[in-house]
Amino acid sequence: MLPSPFEFERPSTITDAVRAFGDSGDGMFYSGGTELLLAMKLRVIHTDRLIDIKSILGLDRIALTDANDIEIGARCTHNKIARDPVIRQYVPALSSLCANVANIRVRSVGTIGGNLCFGEPHADPPTMLAALDARLVLQGASGTRLVHVDDFIKSELETVREPDELLTVIVFPRPTGPVTYRRFKHGERPSVNVAMVWSMDAAASTITSARVRVGALGSRPQPLKGVEDALRGLSVAEVRPAIEAVLPTALDELEVNEDRHGAADYKRHLARVLLLRNADEAIAAGWSA
Amino acid sequence: MSGIDNMGSVRPDLIEKVTGRAEYVTDLTVPGMLHGFVVRSPAVHARIVSIDSSVARSMDGVVDVLIGEDVASFGNWGVVLKDRPIIATDRVRYVGEPVAVVIAGTIEIAENAAELVDVEYEDLPRATTIQEALAEEAPLIHEHHENLEDFYFRGGARPTENSNIFHTYRSCVGDVDAAEAAAAFIHEDHFTFPAISHFAMEPHAVIADFRGDSLTVWAGAQTPSAVQKVLSRLFGLRLARVRVIVPFVGGGFGGKASVKIEPLVAAASWKVQRPVRVAQSIAESMLTCRRLGADITIRTAVDAEGRIIANSAKLLLDGGAYSDTGSAVATKSANRIMGPYVVPNVRLEACAVYTNTVPGAAFRSIGGPQAVWAKESHMDNVAAAIGMDPAEFRLLNLASRGERIRPDLRALDMDMSELMGRVTQSFASEVKASDRQERGLAVAATDPANTPISNAIVRLKIDGSILVSVSSIEVGQGAHATMGRIAAQTLKQPISAVTVLRTDTSVAPYDWGTGASRSTVVVGLSVESAALDAADQILEMVADVWELPRENLLFVEGGVSTGSEVLTFHQIFHRSLGVDSGEVIGRGAITPRSKKGALAESPLFWETSAGLAEIVVDEDTGEIHVPRYASAADVGRVINRVAAEGQDEGAAIMGLGHALYEVLEFEDGQPINATPIDYSIPRISDVPPVFDTILVENGDGPGPGGAKGMGEGAILPVAPAIANALFSTYGIRITDLPMTPEKVWRALQKRN
Ligand SMILES: Cc1cc2nc3c(=O)[nH]c(=O)nc-3n(C[C@H](O)[C@H](O)[C@H](O)COP(=O)(O)OP(=O)(O)OC[C@H]3O[C@@H](n4cnc5c(N)ncnc54)[C@H](O)[C@@H]3O)c2cc1C
Repeated sequence: MLPSPFEFERPSTITDAVRAFGDSGDGMFYSGGTELLLAMKLRVIHTDRLIDIKSILGLDRIALTDANDIEIGARCTHNKIARDPVIRQYVPALSSLCANVANIRVRSVGTIGGNLCFGEPHADPPTMLAALDARLVLQGASGTRLVHVDDFIKSELETVREPDELLTVIVFPRPTGPVTYRRFKHGERPSVNVAMVWSMDAAASTITSARVRVGALGSRPQPLKGVEDALRGLSVAEVRPAIEAVLPTALDELEVNEDRHGAADYKRHLARVLLLRNADEAIAAGWSA
Repeated sequence: MSGIDNMGSVRPDLIEKVTGRAEYVTDLTVPGMLHGFVVRSPAVHARIVSIDSSVARSMDGVVDVLIGEDVASFGNWGVVLKDRPIIATDRVRYVGEPVAVVIAGTIEIAENAAELVDVEYEDLPRATTIQEALAEEAPLIHEHHENLEDFYFRGGARPTENSNIFHTYRSCVGDVDAAEAAAAFIHEDHFTFPAISHFAMEPHAVIADFRGDSLTVWAGAQTPSAVQKVLSRLFGLRLARVRVIVPFVGGGFGGKASVKIEPLVAAASWKVQRPVRVAQSIAESMLTCRRLGADITIRTAVDAEGRIIANSAKLLLDGGAYSDTGSAVATKSANRIMGPYVVPNVRLEACAVYTNTVPGAAFRSIGGPQAVWAKESHMDNVAAAIGMDPAEFRLLNLASRGERIRPDLRALDMDMSELMGRVTQSFASEVKASDRQERGLAVAATDPANTPISNAIVRLKIDGSILVSVSSIEVGQGAHATMGRIAAQTLKQPISAVTVLRTDTSVAPYDWGTGASRSTVVVGLSVESAALDAADQILEMVADVWELPRENLLFVEGGVSTGSEVLTFHQIFHRSLGVDSGEVIGRGAITPRSKKGALAESPLFWETSAGLAEIVVDEDTGEIHVPRYASAADVGRVINRVAAEGQDEGAAIMGLGHALYEVLEFEDGQPINATPIDYSIPRISDVPPVFDTILVENGDGPGPGGAKGMGEGAILPVAPAIANALFSTYGIRITDLPMTPEKVWRALQKRN
């Protein structure tokens, strides 16, 4: 239960961190280490070099920008996000998600960036961030690029990130409607989770658009297109029947893995339960612009 | 707890633990110590074609690599059946079986080199479940069965030649067939119970130091005398030359009982003739042993009034690749499925079966959770089938105090109806958790194999301080503090005067071991008798030297009262011995002959419990919440209330674990969740917010002050109590554990 030998570097700038990969391109970023060290100790991940990004300043900021975007630094721990005043004010559902991820040890050192970059399908934040339409800022040797969370996770434990690209910031528009999130878990990680984000019109009476993501069922969060389409232009009072009408078909279109978290029909059913509970919460919450 | 004044009453081991001073095996270093890392089989059942350890051996810092052929000549070991090689030799029988130990200067080097040991396997046909192992053409996991009679427990195993059945136990009373023919109603059920991991916070860790014809072992062993005996026989060493030292142990639950990795580590030390330490991870310990899974058919016949007239049960237990104490688990499961009921006609059969999975082992209330899960679920089914209230059905059939459940077992020494009443009262009296009536009840009576064989030494020193020496281990249950308290109370001295020595077989006298809820009673009695022996020697001196009649002499704090004055121990020793020094050594022994044979009959006491659960089910997801639980046990007398309640609560929450969360899963023999990440145990947030522990004290136990043993019983009723609440409120009957949300949801779907 000890990792195989590796070299260790602790750069203090992003440029040095990216450069640390050198020509071999060998190495891995080390943030909180809650996934990485575990996997290295189990010897399912081998790396010759760890590049510790904890000394890079400015990677753990949370802010609301002038453009009304919320930015979360990739080095923010779950605990930090849970307690942050900006997040609590504008996206309380994300704050409570982070307050309930994993266990207290993981929350106090594990980061949102590490969570995304590991690409574990049974995770909470990716589903929520995809519903929030978040973009990820990746900085590598050949420059900086923006990737939508929806496009970031390719498959189980695999993302589009190049090994020497550092995830620096997560950006998403400040929500203009209720944000709801629910997960079901029996064991260490979520079996299913559902996030729903509504954008409301100026009068706060009509849903101008909706984003719904179901996580943990397939290799990455999946949109419920049918539900999103059905919600567009509805008043809050019309939501429940509209969702119920399209839900069976929408759920059937989901890719669902059978795994230790349950059989496909059960997990589809749970997605339905969570989505309807989210809808009820969003309806009950009311929204004032 | 207010201030320093009360520190004297705090268990000394707890102070050591919270200050970080307490030493566990992994805190120890022995001069010259090397580290071993175990290479394990990835194969379910395979022939070992070759082992190439040359590359590993050539690594810097690697001292040697132990493999099977090095130690094959020592032969097999076991505690009931001699079926286990020190390390796999020609064949592996489960995933996780040790095939090599890399021995190196550091643990890092050993683990890195372990990846370089190249083992070639050739798969053999496998039998990974009870059904596969019992099938007509099943491969034999062991070709021969070598039984060791009376080696660890009384008796031995009854294996069936040319089969995977390594033990069968049968018990018949009356005539079940005739009773069934006359019955008003007969009901049969089938239940299964999964393999469960002990999941002790401290995994198995052992240091062994082989020096010529002597061997010292530091191990978190629950039964040091069994370790000593097995090592002595295996390596041909005299018992007095095998020393087993047990520092603090971070959880055992049976997973460290009998003998586990000690022979392997001793062999590694033998090979290099230096001390070797092997400290497993939790994941490795999950591949070392586990509770036996079970497949149980149970049938009950009742008369027109609802009286049970016949009971039969067939229990098949999944013993894994090596038998360990699986035969005893099977026997106990048959005894424990009877429950606290009077039934005139009984037919029980239990078989323990080899499978190509992690070896089964003793686990808190051996065979009990499996049996009681089936029995108490079945009781509610029978009650429902005949239209009776389940509590009334139980009350009608309970054995009363003094009545025998079976002729060959001691008469029941408690009132189960009292325990049932107390848990029901607990729900009625406390602030209501809710108005719901979603409740289920279960009861259990078990016969611990408490083996009345123990010795203790109590030394009283000139300054009134007392040393207690026993072989009981301190595994968090507070045994050492209890022994100290018994010595202090018997000698009328303050608890602060007593020191209990750490377990060391070269100092402490023989005892059977720590398990089967026996220490407070059996070891406690030997401590009591050793203390009385020490007191006797003091009184003898006073009577002799002061020329006083003994009947006037009384022990008081600090010395002996003669009636007219108090003589300090100092005065007594000084004047009696002529010098200002000395001690008396009191010796206490408990054997089946002690107390005029009163301890000989089995069980020494009945370990009983009743549990009442209230549940709330999220019918959309199938998730069960337990907002409230009451647990009652008849413990005779409480010696340390905090420790006793802690044991009861801990056992109940362990029961909640296998009820709702836990299962060590195998897919065609491959363990698929044998890591602490993938295996779920209950957390503090899963503990019922309202939890009541009721300890009934009638001072009627065989132990000191009328104590009975405890600490295992409360694990038993939890799962069936929850299942019975599901049955009575939601109309679904779950027959296999754990009761996961998915299972509950499917049952609800089926009902609709
Ligand atoms: C016991 C346990 C339970 C858990 N339960 C849950 C749960 O219920 N829900 C859930 O969502 N998650 C859960 N997790 C996952 C947890 O959220 C992550 O472990 C944590 O967020 C990872 O962050 P880290 O900083 O420790 O990442 P690390 O372990 O340091 O890194 C993880 C991976 O990401 C890469 N990486 C890290 N940061 C960056 C970066 N800025 N740029 C590029 N690459 C990077 C690393 O190279 C590595 O490959 C659990 C984890 C554990 C150990």
